[in-house]
Amino acid sequence: MKKVNYEEAVHVYGRIWMLSAFVMMLMIPTSIGVYYGAWPELSGVVKGLLGVAPIFWTVAVIEIITYTPMLGSGGSYLGFVTGNLTNLKVPCALYAMENAKVKQGTLEGEVISTIAIATSSIVTTIIIAVGVLMLTPLTPILNSDFLKPAFDNILPALFGGLAVVYVSKNWKIAMAPLIFMITLFVWIPSLAHSVSVLVPVGSLIAIVVARLLYVKGHL
Amino acid sequence: MKDYLVIANSKVFFICGAVIISFIILQSLMYMRLAYKEGLKIGLSKDKMVKAFRTGVISTIVPTIAVIVALMTMTPVLGIPIPWIRLSIIGSAPYELMAAGIGAKSMGVDTLGGTGYTKEVFASSIWIMCVGSIWAIMIVTFFLKKIKARYARAVNTDPKWRSILMNAAFIGVFSIFIADPLTTGGLPLATLLSGAAIMTLFAMLIVKFKQNWLREFALAFSMIGAMVCTVLIAKLF
Repeated sequence: MKKVNYEEAVHVYGRIWMLSAFVMMLMIPTSIGVYYGAWPELSGVVKGLLGVAPIFWTVAVIEIITYTPMLGSGGSYLGFVTGNLTNLKVPCALYAMENAKVKQGTLEGEVISTIAIATSSIVTTIIIAVGVLMLTPLTPILNSDFLKPAFDNILPALFGGLAVVYVSKNWKIAMAPLIFMITLFVWIPSLAHSVSVLVPVGSLIAIVVARLLYVKGHL
Repeated sequence: MKDYLVIANSKVFFICGAVIISFIILQSLMYMRLAYKEGLKIGLSKDKMVKAFRTGVISTIVPTIAVIVALMTMTPVLGIPIPWIRLSIIGSAPYELMAAGIGAKSMGVDTLGGTGYTKEVFASSIWIMCVGSIWAIMIVTFFLKKIKARYARAVNTDPKWRSILMNAAFIGVFSIFIADPLTTGGLPLATLLSGAAIMTLFAMLIVKFKQNWLREFALAFSMIGAMVCTVLIAKLF
């Protein structure tokens, strides 16, 4: 019974919060129109929306299919409202679950993941707000030639560390998708920038290999 | 003077921003409380949950600085408050600029902030940014429950396979982010290897010398260490 109650509450609250976020998002362009009389032509907006639809739709579906089972329901509602999933919320939640030694997809995992994502969302929000307040003094420092290479390479810095934690434990599964991606990027280097589209490809290869190894008793 | 920037930087949007971030913090606190109470019920130790909290704080700080850097690339063309709001909820930097660009193009203007970028074109950019990215939210709102139920049915029969499956899914994601610097070489590769080397060192300290407190810090430290190496290498070569 208890389990049902928690799940139910998470979904009910989640839906309410998500819809309010949606309304708030619409408030911004609406107020540009109301306060400043700047309404773009509807046809232009529709054309633009159709232009971005293929990208946003693909990314949305991929992220949902890949990440929701890892993050659990509470973590998913929060993570999808606050965004920055691949570079922030997902690594943070997985790392917290790894440290707490709980499994993804279980109720324990869900609790730990939700706590980590909630914390991460609060910290991110506060740091960005502070960053906005200090934008003028910070800009020359963070954009300096000295520090620029570090921020250009923040994803390799993150995944280098994470790779050691996860790949070392699952190297049998990791070999195939890794070799595939390396071959692919050597062959067509520009594809390395279409990360979102490749996410399901990488996951699918890893899952198929994992299944084969599992069925044959190698895992 | 670009008159749309006066609108873009107006007080109204700073107030919107303040309202929206209070909303996010409230939502996060509520979920944290819900999860914490459920955790106690199912017998997770307080200690474990406090650790998850600390991990959340520590591992978030460094990647967030990258978000601020992204914000700085957006403010000259879109003003401060709207990029701030977008990056605080739902958005992520590369998509925002692209959406704004497509918003301008669909009104016949080629460059953001360039000639012809009137307040109407700016409004169009903002509409596209705000409405275009809403789909993930909509799908999660209406279908997450169903998706979860489907997943649960598919894997419930075999818990061991379930955990392997989840690991495999994320390792697939990893492979992209590892393969990218491996094939690009240069600084990205140096950063990746430094991060991995530092993390290996931490892993040895944790396992061999039982320095368990390091667990929460290892990821943040290895990131900072890797970025310091990047700066040093960039200076040296």
